[in-house]
Amino acid sequence: MPQERHARHHARSRSHAFEPDVVIVGSGAAGGMAAYVLTKAGIKTLILEAGRDYDPATESAMLQWNYQAPLRATSTPDKHFGYYDATVNGGWEVEGEPYTNAQGSTFKWWRSRMLGGRTNHWGRHVPRFGPYDFKAKSRDGLGMDWPISYNDLAPYYDRSEKLIGVSGANSGLENHPDSSPGVLQPASRPRVPELAIQAAATDLGIPCVPSRYAVLTRPIHDRHAPRQACFNASSCGRGCAIGAAFQTTTSLLPMAMGTGRLRIVTDAMVSRVVTDARGRAKGVEYFDKKDGTTHFVAARAVVLAASACESARLLLNSHTSGSPQGLANASGQVGRNLMDTTGTNITGHIPALEGRPRYNEDGRDVAHVYIPFWLYKEQAAGKLDFPRGYHYELGGRFAMPGAGVAMAGNEDGYGVALKEDARRYYGAQISLTVRGEMIPNAGSYCELDSDTKDRFGIPVLRFHWKWSEHELRQIAHGMQTAGDIIARLGGKVLTPQQPPERAIADGGWIIHEVGTTRMGTNAGNSVTDNYGRTWEVDNLVIADGGVFTSNAHKNPTLTIMALAWRSMDHLAQRLRKGEV
Amino acid sequence: MSGEISRRVTLAWVAAASLAGCETREQARQIDPPPVADAPPVADTAPDLWKEVALEPVTAPGYGHDPHLTSPSVPWPLTLDADQRASLRLAADLILPAEAHSPSGGSLQVDAFIDEWVSAPYPDQQRDRVLVVSGLVWLDAESKHRFGADFRQITDAQRRTIFDSIAFRDKVAPGLERPARFFARLRGLMLAGYYSAPEGVADLGYMGNAPYEGDYPGPTPEAKAHLNASLTRLGLKTVG
Repeated sequence: MPQERHARHHARSRSHAFEPDVVIVGSGAAGGMAAYVLTKAGIKTLILEAGRDYDPATESAMLQWNYQAPLRATSTPDKHFGYYDATVNGGWEVEGEPYTNAQGSTFKWWRSRMLGGRTNHWGRHVPRFGPYDFKAKSRDGLGMDWPISYNDLAPYYDRSEKLIGVSGANSGLENHPDSSPGVLQPASRPRVPELAIQAAATDLGIPCVPSRYAVLTRPIHDRHAPRQACFNASSCGRGCAIGAAFQTTTSLLPMAMGTGRLRIVTDAMVSRVVTDARGRAKGVEYFDKKDGTTHFVAARAVVLAASACESARLLLNSHTSGSPQGLANASGQVGRNLMDTTGTNITGHIPALEGRPRYNEDGRDVAHVYIPFWLYKEQAAGKLDFPRGYHYELGGRFAMPGAGVAMAGNEDGYGVALKEDARRYYGAQISLTVRGEMIPNAGSYCELDSDTKDRFGIPVLRFHWKWSEHELRQIAHGMQTAGDIIARLGGKVLTPQQPPERAIADGGWIIHEVGTTRMGTNAGNSVTDNYGRTWEVDNLVIADGGVFTSNAHKNPTLTIMALAWRSMDHLAQRLRKGEV
Repeated sequence: MSGEISRRVTLAWVAAASLAGCETREQARQIDPPPVADAPPVADTAPDLWKEVALEPVTAPGYGHDPHLTSPSVPWPLTLDADQRASLRLAADLILPAEAHSPSGGSLQVDAFIDEWVSAPYPDQQRDRVLVVSGLVWLDAESKHRFGADFRQITDAQRRTIFDSIAFRDKVAPGLERPARFFARLRGLMLAGYYSAPEGVADLGYMGNAPYEGDYPGPTPEAKAHLNASLTRLGLKTVG
């Protein structure tokens, strides 16, 4: 490891002497995977990361107690997910790098400015998209089908799961594909609140099965990125010093670095893709945040992995006289089809869980079981009033006490009785969190706001957002069913009753924004082909969630990585053949 | 009739309503106060001693977007004075008293936590600061009004009579809704400060944040037996 760190430091100071074949913008899930695949294929690669260098081994607050942090680690405008959250210089706002909302729209955009991007703190829930999810329009007439099918991506799902390390189990359920034998690491035993929810759900005919998380239950012995199995303590959102919870900073980046073919420049804010007279990408231009200088890096190919919206912004800001509406945007689709995941949270007080015997309920920080979408047959039979699916992520346990003491809504009075209540209700609250699919609509997109520039002088994004009746009906169904599960446990819903248009989280809030540079079958309906290659610029490839044609309710990061792997295999072949 | 007498009358009938088994404020309101000669038309509400204090905003810096996560520190200065801290300590000893399981709120320095909280330069904490400081002013005013001395000078029994009119959500004395809101927030902050401290963590029985190598063992037999007894009562299938 010391050698690795030295190599990285060396790379930063000598970056300009290094002539890369490919330059990648971003070092998160997509950029990390792109760098891994390309360098393993023998290609000299440079990553430009807008944030600072970051090392989870020394910086993440594993095993720190809430009482050791300011305000018992509660969330503040400085740290939106709490003091210990791994996010550096980011959150819903980034200083000096604003975005705007069109009148009547509310879209929230989570960014981080650090090596590894948002993989340092993400939820790590990694269900696969299923066969229906790639051809959803063929089933219900909405949105657009992907230009690939599940079978095209299945081998890359297997490889990605094996590489990043996924613990969980196959469910054998409709449209929830199994992994190949030997891919998954063992699941973790469920805890009492999860077992209670599972019992109630099963009774109601709803499946509740082991969830899949990018958290190791077995070590991975890699020479350049050794990773330990989870030691069943500490929240994954803090970052993982032992490498058990996947983040590119403890896996793909050091593995790529180990090939000797990767260089990383941090604090490098890319402002545009530069093209030559023939309209091919020559390289990118970036600001060095440390000294304010501007640089150009030449490469045979450019890979955008800056996140769906940031990559769309880069294309729009890379307009030329030949492409005044933005690079690779003859279709007008750049920034369009912006999707997030729908979300709402239903909490319940379960008297049957009051005063239960204590034991260590940390486990793998993430949920050990979850409720996948189960109503495909009813949907196909026309019995549901909403298209597409949702799942529930489950919560409730003896959690580390912090700035919010969960007493299941029973805080009252004072004195000895209050302390008895605090003990009695601790661990008696559960939550069912809806995560559902959104259909792209014409009212949800981002565009350049040329009146507003960031601190580097780059025009920022303006967001437009609206939900359609599809999402609202789905949320209503999710709230109703969660209430049924809580009632079956003899519990009481604590979440205030609200109509779905108020209960649904704001656009962007679930941090699953995708679709702004979607892939498709032709240059008229999409920005890229099925390998993320832009239709107009042959050597410009988009590797992040921007290429999603639809956004199944299954959390997107695994699919981002599987697609990036597939697209980079293709790019590597073309580079080898001299086509690029 | 003086405000003080009408206030006592009000307390008397609220107490009577409670004894009569009325659970909600709505029910309590339906009971007529005992007839009192010369009662002014507003005799059934407490004198409004609540004053929202005007405070200079806290301008100290926060900890920023990239604080040191493994050796945290609080960068902002504390803002409460000695009397305010003393009132909070006394309140913490009553709200979270010492008993067989754990020490009192005051001994766990819950007042110091609340000082850190309300002195922080963030909007939520600044809103709490106005509420808490106004509430402490109210406690003194109410205490003087009822017992002729500051909250710090009266007895615990007297302090409890004040809390009894604002601490129970269904039995808030009419006219004391704002002090009751203050109390609810103060209680929430005290619960947070108390139960996140090491002694509070032990009191709740949180056993985590302790690395466990190897496969997570899941619930203990005792925890599972408790769950299965509950599932059986609910007519649900038990777990193996």
